[in-house]
Amino acid sequence: MDTTFREVSADPRTASVPLSHLSLEIGHLYMDDFAAGPARLREQFARVKPWADAARAACTAPAGRRPRISTCFLIDDYFTRFSSPAEVVPQLIAEAEACGLTIDYLARESACAETDGCHPARLVESRLVESPPPGTNGSRPPTTATGWLSNGERSPGLDHLLAEAMGGDTGWRPPRETEARRHSVFLDVELWDEQHGRRTWSCPYLAAVWQLLRLGLLRDRGQEVLHPADRPETFPHSWDALPPLVRLNPHADPFAAYRTFSVLASRFLPIEHAVKIVLEQWAPEEPVLAQLAERAGQEGVPLPDDVIARVGYVFHGQP
Amino acid sequence: MRPDKPGEGPAVLLGEVRTGLLQHSVELPLSATDRLLGLRHGERVRSSQRPNVQAHSPDLLTGVDCALATGSHRSVRGVGTVTARAVLTEGRVLQASVRARLAAAEGAQRLPWSHYLARPGTVEVIGRAEAPALADGHLTAGPGATLDLGAIAERMLTGIQGGGGLDRRAPFRSRRIRLRWTAVRADLAGEAPGGRLTVEDDTLRTLRLTLDRIDPAEVTAFCEDLALHDWLLSTLGRLIERSGLGSDPGPGPVLKLRPAVNHLMHLWMPGARVARPLAPLWDGLETRPGFSRQWAAAVQRVRDHLALQAVGLHAQPVRKD
Amino acid sequence: MLVFATSDKGGTGRSVTSANIAYRRALLGDDVCYLDFDFGSPTSAAVFDVPSALRGVDQAGLHSYLRGNVAEPKRVNVWSESDSASLRNRPSGSGQLVLVPGDRGGGEFVTGGDAVRRCTELFLRLEEEFDIILVDLSAGRSYAAEMVLEATSRPELAEVVTRWLVFHRWTRQHIIAASGLVYGDRGIMAAGAARGHDEDTLRDSVRFVRAAVPDPSSPMFTQLRPAQAAWLRACHEDLTRLASQHRLGQTLVLGTVPLDPVLQWQEQLITDDDVLASRVANTETAEAFAALAVALTHDRAWESPL
Repeated sequence: MDTTFREVSADPRTASVPLSHLSLEIGHLYMDDFAAGPARLREQFARVKPWADAARAACTAPAGRRPRISTCFLIDDYFTRFSSPAEVVPQLIAEAEACGLTIDYLARESACAETDGCHPARLVESRLVESPPPGTNGSRPPTTATGWLSNGERSPGLDHLLAEAMGGDTGWRPPRETEARRHSVFLDVELWDEQHGRRTWSCPYLAAVWQLLRLGLLRDRGQEVLHPADRPETFPHSWDALPPLVRLNPHADPFAAYRTFSVLASRFLPIEHAVKIVLEQWAPEEPVLAQLAERAGQEGVPLPDDVIARVGYVFHGQP
Repeated sequence: MRPDKPGEGPAVLLGEVRTGLLQHSVELPLSATDRLLGLRHGERVRSSQRPNVQAHSPDLLTGVDCALATGSHRSVRGVGTVTARAVLTEGRVLQASVRARLAAAEGAQRLPWSHYLARPGTVEVIGRAEAPALADGHLTAGPGATLDLGAIAERMLTGIQGGGGLDRRAPFRSRRIRLRWTAVRADLAGEAPGGRLTVEDDTLRTLRLTLDRIDPAEVTAFCEDLALHDWLLSTLGRLIERSGLGSDPGPGPVLKLRPAVNHLMHLWMPGARVARPLAPLWDGLETRPGFSRQWAAAVQRVRDHLALQAVGLHAQPVRKD
Repeated sequence: MLVFATSDKGGTGRSVTSANIAYRRALLGDDVCYLDFDFGSPTSAAVFDVPSALRGVDQAGLHSYLRGNVAEPKRVNVWSESDSASLRNRPSGSGQLVLVPGDRGGGEFVTGGDAVRRCTELFLRLEEEFDIILVDLSAGRSYAAEMVLEATSRPELAEVVTRWLVFHRWTRQHIIAASGLVYGDRGIMAAGAARGHDEDTLRDSVRFVRAAVPDPSSPMFTQLRPAQAAWLRACHEDLTRLASQHRLGQTLVLGTVPLDPVLQWQEQLITDDDVLASRVANTETAEAFAALAVALTHDRAWESPL
């Protein structure tokens, strides 16, 4: 006879989320774009359309299966507040449709920072594991610069220079990219700043959170972080009244996906370079990683281990 | 080193556990451990109440890229992450436990960092080195440029002990004790399964395990359990020695032993959380040197002394007139 | 308990006295740790007579630790590693006596936020294990003193009892200088307040130790002519008045160490052997050290004089 014993608090479960094959981002909306009028919106969607079609064509599902693809659109309500959902959203839907695009999910950027008592940005921050420069053996704490994340070693700071002065080794040293191939492309990303005790996350940092939300990799104490709300009858007059993530298309495939693809104007290139630096140093939760790998395996979908390899882009020029 | 074989777990596991007394006047209630061990936003503290109260922090990762000692002058390069967690037993004994599994790297170059983050807790070995040599290197390495799991454990302990929420009025002074350990797969070690525990000095023990199959979680839990009980035994021994029991006939020893009675004696529960395949290792240590035998003798000595003192205090001296 | 030993100037016997206090506390059964923060001139190896234990570890002392070059500083167990035979026999009932030395030739300079953090962590770490952590700072205003003031102002160390011993010789200049060191510009009080210390608490944690005080009744002075003796007494009274004017009065004095040639010529631990068997050292000196050791934790000695 055999007995088993288990305490849930000792072995908590991790929720799984429904997944598409591809999450296709068809734009960001900032105040400037909106202020420029509906013509600008239509022009942007028209520019995105061929690339979005290409991404659909490139997304292959196992033989005989329809690929699950959901599209999403992000509106900035974090750095600047403009107009209202009642005015913006219907216009957005109409202009996209006019160009042959369907927006399945609409998200507010502030949802990447905070939503219903959950802080996705903090969840991401707590799992950043900095890439160690060669020679890191654990004996010293990582040389973090609070609120910043880089892809290498910074130039030594004043403390270091003063300390080194004792040893007679002085002088400036250039920063160095850890994974440089001979020459460095060093980048230092500001994750947030603080004024009057209030933290404001940076745009590239929130963009990295956005990628992780779309990849279905975030959990808060094992639970799903951003659950899509159904489309309301009418759109509210304040952004706060709009759910952080709305399913505009009731027939849409799931929001999160194995891979993401974003069609962006080339001015977003520096932002997405910074996103790459954040994602490359973000450690996924093991159970979540295993969950996704298992499901991809069952579906026969290839899924790279590295999170960064699941993210794809097209950057298009501006008119 | 050869690649991992499916179903057999990693070839080598390296670890270090540092054990100390929680710097708090009373046992920390389970409800307060969430705050103490909630070292990462969005992740739960794991706790269980059977057969004793124990809580685990989430696993934290630290990136490393450094030389690995091989026991000889030659060293190889290791790149990856090591896993650290804190364990609190009965709200009283705090441990920091750090481990790394070693795996053979595929190439001779370091890969993009996201590759290593997709394999949390694994350090990939670039260069040629045999599994037993890497294990020996870990056990014998002095301070230097090679992988230093102990420093990571030490920082974690200090961070928690000084991180607020504790009143820092511990009931007695005690030492942190280190257990540095390795587990090597038996087929690679060319030895029969077994363990070798060595008391190196007052505060350092080494444990070398040879196992048919290495389950990192189970092996780590075993080493934490062993480290806990070794610390209990060492700490009780020191309290008895310092109490003057055996030399001071007065009430001094009773006062000095009180914290041991209040805070340590009920913690002894060897092997309670050890997975079945590893249970024989505890059995071996119970035979020689006999952990529980020594504990029982020490506890009995303290109890006898307390009983005698109680009798002595209450008994009226018999007068012969 | 954290005890910081500092002095206005050199030549007060601060290092040797605080080392002897550490030794006496260990004899009383406390676990004691002595940290050599006198970065300019680390002398503790000589006082504890442990030169051979320090051979070849130039790179693992407190300087290396505070600079972040090593994860933990080197520790020397005085009972087992001292070259002095009378120290190697650890008396029964005694506690640990551990020396954490500075790097030899380490220089004064260790500063910056990282050093303060490491310093705080070291204090926390040692406080778990030792009843008394005696930190020997260098003379005068120093980076070391600023660093420990900064460290003890941190919330992590808020619950740890902290005491300051200020050593000064029994002369006009030294009394004025010691007062300046505590109460003057950039003194301990000012530097502490600037780092967020509560002024009253900090002031109440400071006591003075008068060093090299001539004792007219000691055998050294028995040959004095009456006029000389009278002059000595008058001087002593003058100095007593001066001390009290400069807030170094009797209520704030933890102890007095007599003038002892042995200490002037050879800085060492005075064991009972030295006093009783070889009779090199004066009984009064050993008694003064023992009294200081007791006073260190005597509540009455640390009551607020206000």
